[in-house]
Amino acid sequence: MSTEFDAIVVGSGITGGWAAKELTEKGLKVLMVERGRMIEHGSGYVTETLAPWEMPFRGEGDAALYTRDFAVQSKNRHFTEFTQNHFVNDRDNPYSVAEGTEFNWWRGYQLGGRSLTWGRQSYRMSDYDFGANKKDGHGSDWPIRYADLAPWYDHVERFIGVSGQAEGVASLPDGIYQPPMALNVLERHAKGIIEQRWPDRRLTIGRTANLTQEKEGRSACQYRSICARGCSYGAYFSTQSSTLPAAQKTGNLTLITDTVVERVDYDARTRRATGVSVLNVKTGERRRHTARIVFLNAGAFNTNHLLLRSGSDAFPGGLGNSSGLLGTHIMDHATTVGAVALFDRFQDRTTFGNRPTGIVIPRFRNLDRQEGDFLRGYSFQGGALRSTWTRAKREAGVGADFKAAMRGPGGWRMVLVSFAESLPRPTNRLTLDPNKTDAAGAPLLKIDFSHGENERKALADAGREASAMLTAAGGKVVLSLDRPGAGGSAIHEMGGAMMGDNPRTSVTNRWNQLHDVANVFVSDGAAMASSACQNPSLTYMALTARACDAAVRLLREAKI
Amino acid sequence: MDHGNRGGSGAGRRQFLMGLAAAGAALTPATLWAQARSGAGAASPGLMPSQRALLDRVCDLTIPDSDTPGALAAGVPAFVALALAHGLEGAGAPVPAARFTGGAGPDGATVLDWLTFELDLKTGGAFLAAAPTSQVQALAALDGAAYVPGGERSPWRVLKGLIVTGYYTSEAGASRELQYELVPGHWDPDVPVGPHARAWSNDWTAVDFG
Repeated sequence: MSTEFDAIVVGSGITGGWAAKELTEKGLKVLMVERGRMIEHGSGYVTETLAPWEMPFRGEGDAALYTRDFAVQSKNRHFTEFTQNHFVNDRDNPYSVAEGTEFNWWRGYQLGGRSLTWGRQSYRMSDYDFGANKKDGHGSDWPIRYADLAPWYDHVERFIGVSGQAEGVASLPDGIYQPPMALNVLERHAKGIIEQRWPDRRLTIGRTANLTQEKEGRSACQYRSICARGCSYGAYFSTQSSTLPAAQKTGNLTLITDTVVERVDYDARTRRATGVSVLNVKTGERRRHTARIVFLNAGAFNTNHLLLRSGSDAFPGGLGNSSGLLGTHIMDHATTVGAVALFDRFQDRTTFGNRPTGIVIPRFRNLDRQEGDFLRGYSFQGGALRSTWTRAKREAGVGADFKAAMRGPGGWRMVLVSFAESLPRPTNRLTLDPNKTDAAGAPLLKIDFSHGENERKALADAGREASAMLTAAGGKVVLSLDRPGAGGSAIHEMGGAMMGDNPRTSVTNRWNQLHDVANVFVSDGAAMASSACQNPSLTYMALTARACDAAVRLLREAKI
Repeated sequence: MDHGNRGGSGAGRRQFLMGLAAAGAALTPATLWAQARSGAGAASPGLMPSQRALLDRVCDLTIPDSDTPGALAAGVPAFVALALAHGLEGAGAPVPAARFTGGAGPDGATVLDWLTFELDLKTGGAFLAAAPTSQVQALAALDGAAYVPGGERSPWRVLKGLIVTGYYTSEAGASRELQYELVPGHWDPDVPVGPHARAWSNDWTAVDFG
């Protein structure tokens, strides 16, 4: 059958960009479909160089507008007046949540998706993670292990550029790194104390997709730490800075924006997808595009939504849902502030520049022996800093003395944020809302997600350990929390089309193909079978590159 | 936005309060509140001249000129007015009656209503007409009460937060009082703090977590 394209990639975010790059570089004619608007690299980053006093609300943003139009998005730490144009309007893009639950679904509908605003932390999963489901029986056993993905992690890291320090920590495998950004004086001190007192723990600089060395037309980081505005230096990995130019260079890419994919078209006779039906959100025009394969990279929950919306007589519960498990076992990370401590030391030392990464303390719990009353583990991210002017909001004083006291750098503080693994549970799931529709008449995605007792126990342990470590380092702990924030708060929502070898207990196979529809690949976070406790984007990228390789091989072998 | 006088009788109210003070009349929270309220434009999106004058004075007292411009010179009152109109940092929420000394505040009171009332009360009826030393003492007392245990919910914390934000995000506050460097260009993890060191206004991590 002749098709318009060899492949259609739905979404242009972190994994969509990767799929487009890999498939075009392997010679396929690819259509990449982005639901949001065009944002050109550089010229599209309209707030990048503005100072607070050049913004109408000084960077704080219009609270009245946010209450009305950005009720969820504005809770995101990276959401500011500078970055609000990289987040969706909640009023225009509704979703529903199950009664009694709460879920912050943070999204960016634009070219590049959340690759523009992501936290850039780039970690490999280990065999502790790939083996976790099998070991304790939660979720579906991963069909792959670390050795399967390691070469693809290499491939991705080489291309995107990750700065970091190899540490030889089994729970956080080392990768291919540009030189690390340095720890500051307090972090270095804390590292020494913690590693001496707890030899199984390691404090290392966050492995981040910010360049410390120039790379293929991309500049090294300028230490502004305003990444989410967009970086015209191309110093962090985004679709615009990295994968899109690579894909465009092949001459094989067709990119359309402002176009939402409404369904994946399926031919029951051939048991293959034929392409996608799309809606141009600017013109209202609907049409179809055809291709030999379809990659779903819409972002984990939107990929689920699209599959659920693509039901047919053959698949009444959603495309590829013969197992009945599509949309289930969704995850996030349970996260909260493990501890904040104030330090009296090093008052004569400070830093220069804005380092766009913090520190990480990789998982140390429940690795080779069970400790405590919870399964799996958690890790910490955070860092040390000297306070600046915002401390003036919470300190007493007015007048000349107050102004003078606020002039210098404030005291040192160190923060450890806990990220606990989210167990894959069948009850945490996505469905189509039977009662609510969006402006185009499509059923809303309904999110039913709650953290469980295991996550709460893990965070309680994390709070105790974070406090103990910062206290040992000489800090005075002023805050320690152990209850998770609302679902979605880690912005690591994933799952729903979990990988597995068994079509009855999973939705996608070891090559990220739908078990039921061999020419549809799901390689964003939807395919995750477990969450681990590290930031997942690097794994999504590696899975995507691996899936693209498999897809092209299968095409050449005429197996799909 | 329009900061014009849409509310009416600010000047008359001030004169009345000054008259009361001059006559040594007994000032109770209730009478003060009645007077403050008579000039308040709670329904108005702009500020009355009396409120603008109060805001100017309070900004100036909070962060005065020194070897760098203070909050008034940096245009902070206009930011605070905008912030109040748009509810930044929770400033749009009405102030509960219990926050008013004497507990007599009415429904729908704004933070500026509250500020007017409290400062007038502390200066014998007319804060703006009071001697500078009395104004300083009144504001210092208000501030002091907001930063002791039990003062966490003082509306002054909201207002002070807006003044502080307005100042340190102004060009003068951010780049002259403190330091601002859009493109540091490199990272140095350990540098000495000199005796005249100024904090970085654009250390965004410290802005968020500091």
